[in-house]
Amino acid sequence: MLKKLLLIPALTLSFMAFANVAVIVHPSNAATLSQDDINKLFTGRAKSFTDGKAAEPVNLAEGVAIRADFDQKALGRSSSQMKAYWSKLVFTGKGTPPKEMASEQEVLDAVAKNPAAIGYVSAAAVTGGVKVALTLN
Amino acid sequence: MLKRKLLAATIAATLCGTSQAAVDINGFASIKGGMALGSGDELYGYDDDFSFKNESLAALQVKSDLGDKLSITAQLLGRGANDWDVKFEWAFLSYDLTDTLRINAGRLRTPFYKYSDFRDVGYAYDWSRVPQSVYGLGFDNIEGASLYHTTTLGNFDSSLQLIVGSYDGDAAIGDAAADAQIDNVTGIAWELGQDGYSFRMAYLVGKTTFYVDQLDNSATGLYAQLRAFGLGSLAGELDIVDESSSFAGIGFNIDKNDWLVVSEITKASVDNSFISDQESYYISIGHRFDNITPYVSFEKEDNDAKTEIYAGVPTASPIFGPVAGLVNQMETERNSINVGVRYDFHPSAAFKAQYTNADNKTADRKDSVLVVGVDLVF
Repeated sequence: MLKKLLLIPALTLSFMAFANVAVIVHPSNAATLSQDDINKLFTGRAKSFTDGKAAEPVNLAEGVAIRADFDQKALGRSSSQMKAYWSKLVFTGKGTPPKEMASEQEVLDAVAKNPAAIGYVSAAAVTGGVKVALTLN
Repeated sequence: MLKRKLLAATIAATLCGTSQAAVDINGFASIKGGMALGSGDELYGYDDDFSFKNESLAALQVKSDLGDKLSITAQLLGRGANDWDVKFEWAFLSYDLTDTLRINAGRLRTPFYKYSDFRDVGYAYDWSRVPQSVYGLGFDNIEGASLYHTTTLGNFDSSLQLIVGSYDGDAAIGDAAADAQIDNVTGIAWELGQDGYSFRMAYLVGKTTFYVDQLDNSATGLYAQLRAFGLGSLAGELDIVDESSSFAGIGFNIDKNDWLVVSEITKASVDNSFISDQESYYISIGHRFDNITPYVSFEKEDNDAKTEIYAGVPTASPIFGPVAGLVNQMETERNSINVGVRYDFHPSAAFKAQYTNADNKTADRKDSVLVVGVDLVF
């Protein structure tokens, strides 16, 4: 909640605070991805891309601002709802949440290096080393 | 979820040279305080003295991925009600046969209910406790194996669990402690979900044996006395020795536009015994206002005593009293109403408060309890 309170002045100052979320994959990854596919990959309900190749989703830690945008736009839930969702799976041995990285730069590096990886960053942060599979507005 | 990754590189190097075992440690805890509100009220282990122990718990789960699709999970849990004695709640091996098919073997949670698997993880649901009228079977875990299959059927997410195993441990019949053994447990649980709607069904069978000293003691027990009266067949209708037992449950869940509705209906029976058929249901409705979720729920427990067992016994007979008493104590009709709220005040913790009023029509008493506390995961 503290995070949201802090966001309010930022929102009033600039439209840039409504960051678009770019879902990124390795440049060699030719799979097409819908929001539903991304939802399934990041909730553990699908484990491979639409072309059948194994997928390794990479998440951002909760402290990174774009994480809440992604949870809301791609998964349709708040970050605490996602935590409750994963605690159901983790504590029943039925699933493991995606690895979490501390910064957008780490996600960019991880996705640039790994042909199986899928992650997300704010659209403005995208670099040439990764391919944007879908932009969530 | 703050996750601590420890790389047991040295162990892995010793054991298997090239691969390394990643160990995930997760935990959850509930710190709750509550008390019964009326003088003389008793409910869910609370009386009119405020208790922080009764429903508090803490657990650590260790999962080690051994590579090649094999992992081991152990959950250590301590309950305040048991003086925080720590026990292995679960310990099982998992092997992924395919991306969609997993075998778990060891000590597992029995999939009776929608919330069976994570009933101790309060953070995973909005209530302060799972509805006791339904979740009151008295045992949760079995030793066995389960096959877990997840897939999509059209637009639905399907998860199917088949389970076999047995239970050997404590149970309670009324106030009496019992040794319970449930053999040849076989069951299926199936959940279908789509876009905020889900439907679940479970069906399990087993062979139940209960040993209660006052009843089963071969010298002084009630059954021995009945047999001494030449009433062996009556003893056989009462006792619980390798009796066919079944559990059936259906439920649904809606999570749409911040409205939350969940309901389960269950029926449990132990044939050829004095255990009453137990029918229960609950329905809960809540609404999420950002990080505050108030809810109300209604529970009903309806257990009909099998009075037909003693229908042929003359009321003047000296055994009528003990036999009728035993059978009739299984009669319960109880309605409960809960009102509560969950407040996600922290990324890893939720504050909850819940008021419950239980109206026991059989015993003609009403009991109410208030509990507040924090559920967290780490």
